[in-house]
Amino acid sequence: MTKIIDAKGLACPRPVLLTKKALEQEDTITVIVDNEPAVENIRRLGTTMGCTLQTEKKEDGTFLIHLSREAGKGTAAPLNVSCATGPLVIAISSDRMGRGNDELGYVLIRSFIHTMLSLEPLPQTVIFYNTGVKLTVKDSEVLDDLKKIEESCVSILVCGTCLNYFGISKDLSVGVISNMYDIASTMAGAGRLVVP
Amino acid sequence: MTDTEEYHVILFDSVHYALRSEKILKEMGISHKLIPVPRHISSDCGICIRFTVDLRNRIEEALAGKVDIREIRPL
Repeated sequence: MTKIIDAKGLACPRPVLLTKKALEQEDTITVIVDNEPAVENIRRLGTTMGCTLQTEKKEDGTFLIHLSREAGKGTAAPLNVSCATGPLVIAISSDRMGRGNDELGYVLIRSFIHTMLSLEPLPQTVIFYNTGVKLTVKDSEVLDDLKKIEESCVSILVCGTCLNYFGISKDLSVGVISNMYDIASTMAGAGRLVVP
Repeated sequence: MTDTEEYHVILFDSVHYALRSEKILKEMGISHKLIPVPRHISSDCGICIRFTVDLRNRIEEALAGKVDIREIRPL
């Protein structure tokens, strides 16, 4: 009987840790997960632990990963979980995404912010600084998206110095005015920091 | 706008057409939103214009003869 590990709905790095634990006891297991990063991480772990892998994608969006190895081999492999343990933080440093063409950059940043709503999991915090703060004030074209993100319990920090520099502090329409202490410590404490 | 409203999207063959349409609609004060083409419609890295169904006629009139539209379809 192959042991089955159901790791659906578990946040990283839980699926990897459960897989590792199971592989310490069994030579053949099947892991069920519901996202591709978990598949990738388990694949990496399995390879490190000397397993052969087979992945099946199911119609309901879950993945079955079959891991097996020759009895007694590779059990002592070190675990190097690649997932960071802190929260996901997104820092928006400009009202453009990428450098080169401003018109295009403005299209891209709006698309990015709209797409942020569908990220799984959502970021814990989104930080706006430099010209990025212009996206958080009255008449910003992404205000509706940012308000939805905020309603989803994502904290939005907006650099007060930057709002002041552009003379738009009174127009702030989403998030809270923040300072460099909070911004620096949030960025430094992030497990992953995404800067589009 | 709320999630309960029904949306349609306009797809274009070029990002430039999407931007030109956005400019025209902004000038005319017609409510709309530039969004990435949803994954279930196309895997292209494209952008499209989303609008509420009730504006469809106004939008089609506003863009007629000015921009090439590939398709207008429900979101």
